[in-house]
Order: sequence, then C-alpha cells, then structure tokens
Amino acid sequence: MPLCIEPIQSQSKEIKGETMSGRVIVITSGKGGVGKTTTNANIGTALARAGKKVVMIDTDLGLRNLDLLLGLENRIVYTIVDVVEERCKLKQALVKDKKNPNLCLLAAAQTRDKTAVTEEQLKNICEELKKDFDFILVDCPAGIEQGFQNAVAGASEAIVVTTPEMSAVRDADRIIGLLEAREEIKSYKLLLNRVRPNLIKSNDMMSVDDVVEILSADLIGIIPEDTGIITSTNKGEPIVNDDKSLAGKAYNNVARRIIGEDVPFLNLEEDNSMLGKVKRFFSGLMGKEK
Amino acid sequence: MKDIFTDFYNTILGFFRQTEKKEENAKDVACNRLRVVLMQDRTNLTPELLQRMRQELIELLSKYVEMDKDALELNFEQEGNQMALMLSIPVLRAKEESEIDEAEESVSEDENSEDVSDEEQSDEDSETEDHSDDDESEENSAEDIEIVEEEAEENDKAEK
Repeated sequence: MPLCIEPIQSQSKEIKGETMSGRVIVITSGKGGVGKTTTNANIGTALARAGKKVVMIDTDLGLRNLDLLLGLENRIVYTIVDVVEERCKLKQALVKDKKNPNLCLLAAAQTRDKTAVTEEQLKNICEELKKDFDFILVDCPAGIEQGFQNAVAGASEAIVVTTPEMSAVRDADRIIGLLEAREEIKSYKLLLNRVRPNLIKSNDMMSVDDVVEILSADLIGIIPEDTGIITSTNKGEPIVNDDKSLAGKAYNNVARRIIGEDVPFLNLEEDNSMLGKVKRFFSGLMGKEK
Repeated sequence: MKDIFTDFYNTILGFFRQTEKKEENAKDVACNRLRVVLMQDRTNLTPELLQRMRQELIELLSKYVEMDKDALELNFEQEGNQMALMLSIPVLRAKEESEIDEAEESVSEDENSEDVSDEEQSDEDSETEDHSDDDESEENSAEDIEIVEEEAEENDKAEK
C-alpha cells in the first residue's frame, strides 16, 4: 500500500537562522480560507511557547481576524494605521497576549482599506520591530493585489499556506511565482494545511507528495484537518495550547522547524481503528506472499 | 482441504484489495488537470502565439522532413524545476539532400517548386476528407521525434 504521507526527508531543509533575532516571515496563500490566519496564530503562539519573542502583524486591513483567533479582540486600542498616521507610538499599539508575555499583536484597522498603509511604511515597522523581537510574523491578506505587496514588503522569508485542493494549489503556484520575483524574499516554504489522510488513502485527494511535486517547493509542515480548530477558534485559544490535538502537534513541529530543529513529519497515515488494524494485517500478509 | 483455505484467503484478499483498484481516481484527475493549467499559468504565451510558433516550426521543419502536420504536438512539460517545450513530430519520411537543396534554391528564387505544392495539396485533401482516422493511422506508423526546443528554468516564474 503506498504511503501517501511518507515524510519527505530531503525537503526538510529548514529555514536557517544563525542570529535568531528579527526574522520577518510573511504567511501568505493567494487563496482565501486555506488557513493563513490560523497558521499565523498557531505558529506565533508555538514560537512564543518555545521562549521566543514574537510579534504578529495583521495586515488584512478592513478584514482583520487574527485578534479573534488569539482572543484579543477586546484589548485592541491602537492599530497599525494609528501607528502609521502617528496617533500613537509603535510600542503602544502592541497588544500583549493573555497567557504568554512573549507574544504580541499589532492589529489591523477594521474601518480602513488596504491603501491606508504603504509598502514603505510596513517595511519601516518591520525594521523597528526587528530590534526587539526574534520573530515578526506578517499575516497577509488573500489575493495578489496591493495588500499582498504590502505584507511581503518587509519580509525576508515566506510561508505559503495551501491545501490539497486544485484551486488552492494553483493560487499557491501564482504566489510562489510572485515571491520568486521579489529579491527581498530569501526563502519560502510550503505548509500543507487541512490534509485528510483518509481521502488521500482512497485516492480521492491529492497527496502531500503530489502537491510538493507539482509546486516543487520545500515543505515546512503538514497539518491534518482537525475539528478542534473550530472549537479553538470559537474560544480564541490557538490549538497549539492543546497538547492532545494532532493539528496542534503539527503546528508545534512547524515552529520547531522554523527555529532550526530537525523534526520529522507526523505520521498521519496510521489508521488506528479496528478495521484499519485488520486491513494492515492482511496487507502485511499480501506483501509477504508477493 | 488446502484448496478451500487458499480460496477463502484469496476471496478475503480480493475484498480488501477492491478499494485500491479504482482506475481513474479523483486524485489523478486533479493532478493532471492542475499540471496543464499551471503550464499555461506559468508561461505568458497566449494560445495565438503558440499557434504562430507552431506554424513557423512546421514551415522550417518541412524543409527537411515530410511530417504529419496535424499530429504534431507542441506542449510544455515540467521536469522538476525546469520547464521544457516538447515538440513531438510524427515523421513520415526524411527528405533527400537533393530535395532540400532544391527547395532552398526555389525559395531563394522566390518560387515554389511544383512538386512541393502538389504534395501539400494532396496532403490537405486527405486531411479534410477524413480527419481523425487519418491522424491516428499516420501517427502510429510515423516515427516520433521528441525535441527539447527550449529550457527555461525558473525564469518563467520570475517573468510573471
């Protein structure tokens, strides 16, 4: 039986960070709804839990959501637009996380559109934050217009989030093309979200290998589809805080890979139901016979 | 007794194997469709330009070989990070050196030789009469030559 989620060891070249400070990573996808913001919230939280100083910038002006996923929506006083228009200092606009003092959020303005902040301004904000933080995660809006260009402006690394669906992969390909055209982006990695091992096993969904081959990009994480994401979003509590969740574990692994650890990919293939065990037993016999 | 056991074993195996035996599964369809669509996305060549390139290639190559013009395939393929333009030409017959020289002379004189135009006419006639059947039979009999015309590395992506 072909293993669909076999780890691709050769692809696990990590984003190397020797100095460990001031790395600006943009999290982008092209297509909406593939889990950019969820990824941002979880990687940010996981990095902070690992003792890194992290700030997340929501650049989705007019459609902010990162604050909701972190449960910080009631604490926002100033936004990135207030910083740019000099109504407050940058440090005043940073909202500290409830649990983790290492984690901060610079929220997007909900009442303004993408033109309120320019590429140059975002670049300057990133430069400023580099001095005080180990990681600056930039949450990029969907699309390839100005909002995307702004978000990418200050970053030197990128994580492209996609799912094993045709439209998401196609949009990811477009984004990769745009990232490659930008000199300031030194490296980009692929994060495959909402993977459903059962559908892959029955050949109804593209496998991790398929997507990696089609996009020919390095992989930094495989996140299984997890209903826990819905409840964690509802509670405003990133799923990495739940040690039992498989998606949480997968996100934690992504964070460790970003830091530079060599972490193998989770085995999502294992089917632990009774039928799964019986099937494995028989396919084992089959293998011996042939 | 032993036969009953092997029969039983095979039946069970068959049951468990059924799920693996789907031929055209959704995953393969998705992969193939995506590959084609991404080829188009990654290159900036419009269908019209591709058609023009195809026409010019046919004109050039006809000088040296007699080929099945309708079965000629021009496609982009991906090999790892590289994009390649694959040209598959069903060759009916390689032309003699004298023929090539003749054609060259006639072109330089700005006149088409009668032989060539005759050939082309008869070709076109047969093609219009029975399109698909003609294509297939010729394709099978003809030798396929694959030429890698152009290898544009990541430039293609960057161009976007």
